[in-house]
Amino acid sequence: MSLRADAIRDCMDGAIPGALCTCSADGVPNVAYLSQIQYVDPDHVALSYQFFNHTRRNILANPRVAMIVIHPRTARQYRLSMAYLRTETSGPLFECMKAKLAGIASHAGMSEVFKLLGSDVYRVLDIEALPGESLPAPVRDLCLLVALRGCSEAFSTCGDLAGLLEAVLDGLEQRFGLRHAMVLMLDRPGDRLYTVASRGYETSGVGAEIPVGQGIIGVAAREGVPIRIGHMTSEYTYGRAIRETVGQGALADRLETEIPLPGLPAPGSQLAVPIPGPGGPLGVLFVESPVELRFNYDDEDAAVALAGQLGMAMRLLQSEPEPPDEAPSAAEPAPLAGPPVAVRHFAENDSVFLDDDYLIKGVAGSILWALLQDHLAQGRTDFTNRELRLDPRVRLPDVSDNLEARLVLLNRRLQERAACIQIVRTGRGRFQLRVDHPLQLVEVPGRPPRLG
Amino acid sequence: MHASPPLLDAEHAAFLEGGVSITAGARDGRRVPTLARALGARVSADRGRVTIFFSRRQAGPLLAALQENGALAVVFNEPHTHRALQIKATDAGEVPLDPGDGRRVEAYRQAFVDEVGRLGFPEPLVRTLLRVPDDDLVAVAFTPASAHLQTPGPQAGAPLGEAP
Repeated sequence: MSLRADAIRDCMDGAIPGALCTCSADGVPNVAYLSQIQYVDPDHVALSYQFFNHTRRNILANPRVAMIVIHPRTARQYRLSMAYLRTETSGPLFECMKAKLAGIASHAGMSEVFKLLGSDVYRVLDIEALPGESLPAPVRDLCLLVALRGCSEAFSTCGDLAGLLEAVLDGLEQRFGLRHAMVLMLDRPGDRLYTVASRGYETSGVGAEIPVGQGIIGVAAREGVPIRIGHMTSEYTYGRAIRETVGQGALADRLETEIPLPGLPAPGSQLAVPIPGPGGPLGVLFVESPVELRFNYDDEDAAVALAGQLGMAMRLLQSEPEPPDEAPSAAEPAPLAGPPVAVRHFAENDSVFLDDDYLIKGVAGSILWALLQDHLAQGRTDFTNRELRLDPRVRLPDVSDNLEARLVLLNRRLQERAACIQIVRTGRGRFQLRVDHPLQLVEVPGRPPRLG
Repeated sequence: MHASPPLLDAEHAAFLEGGVSITAGARDGRRVPTLARALGARVSADRGRVTIFFSRRQAGPLLAALQENGALAVVFNEPHTHRALQIKATDAGEVPLDPGDGRRVEAYRQAFVDEVGRLGFPEPLVRTLLRVPDDDLVAVAFTPASAHLQTPGPQAGAPLGEAP
């Protein structure tokens, strides 16, 4: 074969609809315009199955098809000879196409009509570039490999997770020109993702959560597959859907402990890429743009490579040995000033409030509560990651949990709220608790009261 | 020549001859399909015959298949409304160009540029897609045997009326 499918991926992004010819068992051809073509690999593409129609009937009887796609910039036409292999009705390919189709349908004003029943996978037998005129392929103003290389070099000099997260957001903004991005980590037993860093939003949203499986970020995490949408759709946007879920959700997840997820008010394009780990995604890297069709297959590849590097860097940092515990240094008496602050801890979901202000919940909440208990009871200010990992009061889901990510989250929340409690990293696997107001710890059984 | 009433009414004829996207499919003796983009259409005065135009270089396999068996499917699709009509025939084959066909194809290009221009497709792109040297133009004529609405949705495939 002279051409492979990866050489013509830009023709498959839906800018110009492709056309498919099938043929019935008794030899009647049928032509259909295609709402969605998905590049799978150099030898396979997938088409959306939305209705039982002539196309469907024909491919089940006779798997040979022909397809024409048109390059959206050069106008070059390509004719593909293909054979239908199978239909997938669940899994990564299906979910990826379903998310995209929802965007396409919304763009076309056909949300009621376009529902994905399956992903029809075809083997590509031949690709022919049709003779005819074409325009020169435009030169992109950004070289993705240069941007990726820059990020990769920056990652290698990061000594801690907080620095790594800054490096990835810096890289996306400065090297890729993507000003709206966030990193979410998977809280596996809770089946949630929590935002650990973001860039380009009015509020950082650090601590905001998304259920696994919801929206493009949640689906990317559940399926371990990148999801890229060029036309946005209400089905995959977050604000309201999250609120509804929270409203119906478990008692421990009430509204007053909700941190709003950041996001563009009118996103044109979104891309969510899993951050790979050994037993499934560690989290999700998410970027968005107000421009429609901002990301193509090459952008997706670059983001996948970037997320791969990010995942490896996270695991490397996590696997570096932490220094042994030392006897806690005698704490210098910190100067306390101002009125006492009541720190309330609700046992049911480890949510922590400073006076009436919600701060944090979950694992990060249990960490803070343990630190404050030791601080008040023993006067301790210096702590290590290692002791936290072994502390039964800290409800880490398992030994492989990224404790550092929980600390980054806690640290950011305390900083953003300019709280009277701060955490300062003092070395690898070490940090110091700094308190400048008198504290009064209040343990409350059950869950926090619903406000408003 | 045509004993039965034509399948297409005047409005259909106008639709076919307008700035619609036209793609035709055929199949060879082993039922392997092929397809090509067409460059406009001409409907006969009695609406019994439809002629569509191709680049010979682009439509080689389609022309060969039609010579073999005459089975053709053509979709006429209006991008901004999604309105689409699929016509099938069993007697399709190459015919000589009429003297006015060159001008007809040029008028089609302008109509299609206007149609997709409203969807944001730049004129140079559309003109490049449709540009074919005059000596490369070829005509294929057929008698519509059946016609189906193909606007996307579950109703796609509903017949216009039974072919006589």
